[in-house]
Amino acid sequence: MNYGILAWKNLARRPVRTALTVVGVGMATAVAVSLGGFNLGFRAAISRSIEQLGFQVMIMAKGCPYEAATLMLKGGTGLLYLPESAHEQIRTDPDIEAITPVFLGVAEKPAGGPEENTGPSAFTLIAGIERESYAKMKPWLQFKSGPGFDGGRWFSPDAAAEAVMGFEAAEYEQRKVGDLFYITVVPHGKTEPEFHAFRIVGVLERTGTQDDGTVFVPLHTAQRIFGREGQLTIVGVTLRQFNAIRMREFEGRWMSIPEVQVVSLEQVKGALVSLVGTAQTMVAAVAVIAILVAMIGVLNAILMSVYERTAEFGILKAIGAERRQIFYLVCLETLILCFAGALAGSGVAAGGAGLTDATLRRLLNLGLTQPMVLITPRLLAAAIGGAIALGLLAALWPAARAAALRPVEAIRNQE
Amino acid sequence: MPTTPLISGYGLQRHYRRGIETVRALDGVDLEIRAGESLAVIGPSGSGKTTLLNVLAGLDAPTGGQLTIGGQRVDGLSEQQLTTVRRGFFGFVFQNFHLIPTLTVAENIVLPLLFLRRPVVRHEVEQVLEAVGLSHRAHHYPRELSGGQMQRVAVGRALIVRPRVLVADEPTGNLDTVTADAIVSLFLTLVNREGLALLLSTHNLELASRCDRIIRLKDGQIVPPVSPPQSLR
Repeated sequence: MNYGILAWKNLARRPVRTALTVVGVGMATAVAVSLGGFNLGFRAAISRSIEQLGFQVMIMAKGCPYEAATLMLKGGTGLLYLPESAHEQIRTDPDIEAITPVFLGVAEKPAGGPEENTGPSAFTLIAGIERESYAKMKPWLQFKSGPGFDGGRWFSPDAAAEAVMGFEAAEYEQRKVGDLFYITVVPHGKTEPEFHAFRIVGVLERTGTQDDGTVFVPLHTAQRIFGREGQLTIVGVTLRQFNAIRMREFEGRWMSIPEVQVVSLEQVKGALVSLVGTAQTMVAAVAVIAILVAMIGVLNAILMSVYERTAEFGILKAIGAERRQIFYLVCLETLILCFAGALAGSGVAAGGAGLTDATLRRLLNLGLTQPMVLITPRLLAAAIGGAIALGLLAALWPAARAAALRPVEAIRNQE
Repeated sequence: MPTTPLISGYGLQRHYRRGIETVRALDGVDLEIRAGESLAVIGPSGSGKTTLLNVLAGLDAPTGGQLTIGGQRVDGLSEQQLTTVRRGFFGFVFQNFHLIPTLTVAENIVLPLLFLRRPVVRHEVEQVLEAVGLSHRAHHYPRELSGGQMQRVAVGRALIVRPRVLVADEPTGNLDTVTADAIVSLFLTLVNREGLALLLSTHNLELASRCDRIIRLKDGQIVPPVSPPQSLR
């Protein structure tokens, strides 16, 4: 016989009440863990997604910079373009370590080849890039190897009909090195679609970024087929020294170009975090309410138990229990309730992280490729510890009440 | 040679207020109890039997008089201090058994050892189970026992701490005549064999007459006769 067994058997007297209390604590813990996981994961996902763009600074046509950044992350295209001459001007800046111009366009994919262009169409993202500067900006890009993929390479600078496919684009289209890839595009200023075929010269390894779903073609080829010669979607820049002062200086030098804006991805990161901050605050409020409700549930369950067992506590004191032993017993019962609930809730939250991630991804369509819910052992430990601490806080009053019962009165009241 | 009293009370009072009225539950009781002695307290309902037992056992504090338990003056002590004096000195048996329903017979019996921080010694538990005639029921739950068996568990729970005084407040109130007689026989056997003192309150004069002494209470005071009626012994 020990306190643990005694506490457990006391809880087992009212299995339904005990189970409901555990479920309440579990639900509150699951909400808290999921929210905490979202807070951790969302910031990390934004950071990683933006870092994997490879840029520190984006230069683009004036408009909403956050929308532009989100489109970049999601792989969309902007409605506004900046002149290619801006790139020529900016690249002379002495603070620049690397710079790359990018043109993005969306092309339609015929269902089959040119002979069987009858089925339903789909769309693909075409990125026109300068291979050297782009590869320098993203040194982690590697060509896939293996049967059908060996010998992958970047396209020749002015090749009109060569393309490199991202990992998922190639997998989706079932294309290998040497295969042909077809698109149709309605060029700017025209009404009739034009058909284009590209030879795949390389397939990239998976990066976990939007690059995986992109088809890369030479910059001038992309500009030409979309009818946007001399125009860019963005210019990506990394600076030799990236800090707030350098960024402000750099921004000051180039904001003077008409129709051009300079956006730090740190700013974008902050803006995206704050955009979701309101939602996070609301969810946090819901979590706090859930936790308070669970605490009241624990308080109610323990208080009911103490009321029901008034005579029993009197007897326990008569047979030798001290105040602190009764206090400890009631707290131990609460601890078992809260630990069981917190463990179950944490398990549900950890096990259902994928589902939570998918739900959040659908609700907050920010184009983040990284997991938005990050449940760490530390978070789980904090949630379990917090549930136990709050549970014990709720148990203080009932435990003190039980401990303070005078044996004679306790026994007499329920005789 | 008379032994030192385990409990002695002189001029014991237990008064309390109920609205504007002062209830004199005990009103100047003098009493001594020695080891190996059995004392029955009889009297009508409301005469102060339970209050006397509670005060003598340190469960309730007297509001007047002097009370010594185990050689220590206890009148004026706080509830916490009374608990310290009481622990292990008394074993309690109540009318309603008050067993923990989710604990087995053996677990109910060893429960006080948990609070006294004493180890559970298997053969001692077996001895107690045998003494109360429940060796074959050690792993049964209270709901599986008869009233007499439940009261035997309560007796076992009282005995496990090896008390100096066994306090039994109406222990046969919920039992049939035969079982009640058996329980009192068990008490008296323990008094003789273990040298305990027994404080027994009862309405049953026949059971009371089996004790060494009988006191009769009325309105919180002891009234004659204070010696056992020889004709009933």
